[in-house]
Amino acid sequence: MSDMLCPRCSRANAIVDYQGWQDDTVVWTIFRCITCCFSWRDSEPASTIGVGARSADFAVDAANLDRYPKILQQVGK
Amino acid sequence: MNDLADRARGISSLRDFLELLKDAGQAITWSDRVMPEPDLRNIAVAASRDASGAPAIIFDNIAGYPGKRTVVGVHGSWDNIALLLGRPKGTTIRELFFEIAGRWGDAEAQISFVPEEQAPVHECRVESGINLYDILPVYRINEYDGGFYLGKASVASRDPEDPDNFGKQNVGIYRLQLQGPDCFSLMTIPSHDMGRQIMAAERTGLPLKIAVMLGNHPGLAVFAATPIGYEESEYSYASAMMGAPIRLTKSGNGVDILADSEIVIEAEMQLGERVLEGPFGEFPGSYSGVRKAPLFKVTAVSHRRDPIFENIYIGRGWTEHDTLIGLHTSAPIYAQLRKDFPEVTAVNALYQHGLTGIISVKNRMAGFAKTVALRALSTPHGVMYLKNLIMVDADVDPFDLNQVMWALSTRTRADDIIVLPNMPAVPIDPSAVVPGKGHRLIIDATSYLRPDPIGEAHLVNPPTGLEIDALSKAIRVLQQGVAQ
Repeated sequence: MSDMLCPRCSRANAIVDYQGWQDDTVVWTIFRCITCCFSWRDSEPASTIGVGARSADFAVDAANLDRYPKILQQVGK
Repeated sequence: MNDLADRARGISSLRDFLELLKDAGQAITWSDRVMPEPDLRNIAVAASRDASGAPAIIFDNIAGYPGKRTVVGVHGSWDNIALLLGRPKGTTIRELFFEIAGRWGDAEAQISFVPEEQAPVHECRVESGINLYDILPVYRINEYDGGFYLGKASVASRDPEDPDNFGKQNVGIYRLQLQGPDCFSLMTIPSHDMGRQIMAAERTGLPLKIAVMLGNHPGLAVFAATPIGYEESEYSYASAMMGAPIRLTKSGNGVDILADSEIVIEAEMQLGERVLEGPFGEFPGSYSGVRKAPLFKVTAVSHRRDPIFENIYIGRGWTEHDTLIGLHTSAPIYAQLRKDFPEVTAVNALYQHGLTGIISVKNRMAGFAKTVALRALSTPHGVMYLKNLIMVDADVDPFDLNQVMWALSTRTRADDIIVLPNMPAVPIDPSAVVPGKGHRLIIDATSYLRPDPIGEAHLVNPPTGLEIDALSKAIRVLQQGVAQ
């Protein structure tokens, strides 16, 4: 677990999935939030990964994940 | 012309097609160093501005992905589609439409099976320690996508309740979001073949194993996106329409796959599990919402040596998605209408997967075009997608928007418009007040027949036909000669 805040749901539940290397140097790191499933690369523009810089329209409400509908729901389940 | 047709029939893989495109000046290699974001997106969008002639773009110097290649825009222009069909660059959209409409069907399919040990796709095999990021140089396609997507994956699967039936084996393009190093989510809806199979697997508890093909025969990429009957095989359609054999082999988990694909990811659905998926910038040019979608766990990956990861830019049009599926959306509507109404002369459903369609028809009687429009709404694609329909006469080319606007300007009376309220509609239409329902609009821009009042104006009839078409091409050739 890293201490990175998720840019989308603001929880600190991110893990490192991958690092891009070039010439023995880490060029970027891919994180994934296990609360809201957002994946991001730390080299992306602030409009995508900046906490506070992202459009609030695309935030995920981590306290209320039940609001997101389940697809292909079986009848009666 | 014959050389082009022969060469197109000789394509058996993405690599073959890229060679053909390079020879025709329709594929370029971008070797300057690029960042995965936003550079790949920016370059793909810039290329999409030229719907007629954009090249495929191969990136071979992506920061953090040394030695890996990705390609976008393989189907990104009409010239590339023309070359796939064995026609020269500059072939008109109308000509391409009739080329496809004339080939429609699966009667002449030639399917051959290659032993697994001889299939190029199995050259390299990963069965443990799988990390998809090791293999796929993924990037965020649109800035607010929920993650890294495989936007041009052809997903093959067998019907869990009838796994030996070749026809019921489905191949479709579904968006896949990476959910960690060895998992991904798949978005579909109940009416799609994959949706049916997922629901059947969860109802019965039977396993659903799939094979995700990336970097495929360019004919399959087209047909995997085309709605055909549930018991019809996309492989058979692709072969018949290309007029050439399709080489299949078996994936490690028993699914029929293309023997010459660049990469195949084998995976199994985690029954009953859902993860947050989306948003994703979709073909209407708007983002889908966040949903809980089925999760698949990767069990193995096969790939060719130095594989090429093929992806697509999709979003607000014009994009590769529009050229990829536009004509193959139009052709089945045309074929279905012609069964009942041979007066239909062409169908243009290029725009946003047919949210707007233009149909040309010879009016059999006054008001006839409206009857044809209502029939179009009941075709399989029309039921959900054909939101706005413009009906024009047979003397108007529905693929020439200048002519369509002329018909709208001169042949539409304001009371020739029908609005059908509260019809079913594709849920991701951004204009929907209630996703999944909406109003349909029919504009009858055909001319009048008695007993309608006809008016006094007489049309100018400029010369048309093959002679003018040939002159138009001669002018272009002369102009190109001057430019050189």
